[in-house]
Amino acid sequence: MANLSIPSIRERLFNTSRHEQTTQRSSNPFAASTFKGNVLTADVFESSTKQNQPTFTGKLKASTFVGSISGIGERFQHMIDSVVKFGVRVKESVVNSWNKLEGIEISFNPLKERMTSTYNHAKEMLTTPISEMFSTGISSKQVAKMADMTEARQLLKDNLALWEAAA
Amino acid sequence: MTITVDKKTVKNVTNIIEGLGQNPNSESVVILEDIGTNSKVDSIRELTCRALVKRNEHDSLKVVITNKGKGINDMSTIVAMSTINELLALDDKTEAMKVLTDTVEMHSDEEVRDNARSVKALMALS
Repeated sequence: MANLSIPSIRERLFNTSRHEQTTQRSSNPFAASTFKGNVLTADVFESSTKQNQPTFTGKLKASTFVGSISGIGERFQHMIDSVVKFGVRVKESVVNSWNKLEGIEISFNPLKERMTSTYNHAKEMLTTPISEMFSTGISSKQVAKMADMTEARQLLKDNLALWEAAA
Repeated sequence: MTITVDKKTVKNVTNIIEGLGQNPNSESVVILEDIGTNSKVDSIRELTCRALVKRNEHDSLKVVITNKGKGINDMSTIVAMSTINELLALDDKTEAMKVLTDTVEMHSDEEVRDNARSVKALMALS
């Protein structure tokens, strides 16, 4: 039951500072209004400022983290795709160059021979195992293809002499 | 005796011997017999004998089966056993069996004949 005594009404009319103190905490613009003599102190309206500042807690935080990871993955995928595309372009370029070279009629034969031998050499290099490419020693393939047997005999003799001298 | 042969030399000699074993020129068998099987180093003789067996030709097999002091008749057990092992590992043993039979039947040296007979028996069982 509202207190309707004269002093209390007077106090409400002329001394509002006490009520203002209670309503200042609220962001509700109608909080200062009275309804049947009662002050609405509760903030029943959603703050507009709160909506614009989402808090990074719980699921929201997790989803943001997952989103960032998937973003990195995509970026890596793009990088890899770029590298693959570059490789394909280089390969196509080489193949096209060779096809053009084949198509062009070169009247200067030594140049054509030179270019062909360079290409064949590069092809041979690509098919040679890396271990053999960097090895400076004698390979069994070389000896197996040797036509000069005097040279082969000397080669074996020299290398056996090295081994026997050390033994 | 400690052997201090560098790896490069070993690799080179191994490759040369293997290469000569694969070389289609028949002169390579003569080179291997003259130089490889007469080496003072057991490992070199072993490598040579194995290359000659792998070649699986009449002339190369004759070197390691019929010669006293070479191949299966080598003074070094390691060399002799390696040669026998390589003979047993051959996919096509026809030529080796032929040479062994000829040696058992016709060789002048009794020890060589006995060795050939033993190896032949082993090959027949394998």
